[in-house]
Amino acid sequence: MSHMFRVGDELPPLKHTATPLQLFRYSAVTWNPHRIHFDEPYARKEGHAGIALHSHLRAALALRCVTEGLGTGWHVTKVAYRLRKPVYAPADVAYTARVTAADDDGMTLELIEQHPSGEVGFEGTVRVSKTRGARP
Amino acid sequence: MSFTPEPGTPLAQYYTETQPRIGAVLSRRSLGTLDAVTIGRYAMTIGALDPSHYDKQAAWSAGHADVVAPPNLLAAMVEWGVGTPESCLQADGTPVDGEIPLGDLGLRVMGAGEEMELVNPVVAGTEVVLETTLESVTPKQTRSGTCVFVTTTNTFMSVDGAVFNRNRRTVVLRNPVQEA
Repeated sequence: MSHMFRVGDELPPLKHTATPLQLFRYSAVTWNPHRIHFDEPYARKEGHAGIALHSHLRAALALRCVTEGLGTGWHVTKVAYRLRKPVYAPADVAYTARVTAADDDGMTLELIEQHPSGEVGFEGTVRVSKTRGARP
Repeated sequence: MSFTPEPGTPLAQYYTETQPRIGAVLSRRSLGTLDAVTIGRYAMTIGALDPSHYDKQAAWSAGHADVVAPPNLLAAMVEWGVGTPESCLQADGTPVDGEIPLGDLGLRVMGAGEEMELVNPVVAGTEVVLETTLESVTPKQTRSGTCVFVTTTNTFMSVDGAVFNRNRRTVVLRNPVQEA
């Protein structure tokens, strides 16, 4: 069944616990040797409060909120985000996406990463288009 | 009057050496062929369970020629191929010659943000070419101290020039931590 979205609609939030194990695997699969993501003593020496989530992992989780919330009838065409503060594993994070504009070709959604304290760690926008030939 | 890092610091040296390269194409090179295992492992790691990342039949049903990469896989890869020998990595683990010029001054680096345009999906078996241009090098005084923001534009494409995605990525650099 096709689903129409309107300005103000929110997709189901993606709630996630980022663990040190996930950060290790993310470093491994992206061949990222930056120690702040897996070496806690080193990360603390640099002034961090623990091992830091990768910015691209946070973006990937935010995009999952969009792609899983919209389903197969849509695809991401543009995304922009800005990191407001670091996140250290283990961490509970929640990603939300709210429709801010909709037209015949697609939609724009506002992306937010929220921490249990209520602070926003990441904010951005994503543009999605209808997938030609798809049956949502 | 524009702000510049304190003279004599590694950040000032970095700024002096890198700022003249603004606008330069830093590299254009083949990254190699993206394979299905990498796509599946990336999807697994981020928790993306869409079968089109793992199963060729599912990918075909979704209109792709092979298993398809999650949207930001290309941008997220730090090193392709075998990577840099450990003896050539900096103390923080980063390669000197990555997509963003970090130099070998021991600067602390973190991602600051990104804009990405996804033009075409990328599937397993695709050889990927990356062109990187240095867009800006901007010093700033922030609450956490002196920083330099470095922005590059990166175009991921096929060997015949078909664009997969373009991204504009910014990292923030800070002076090394002072040893006690």
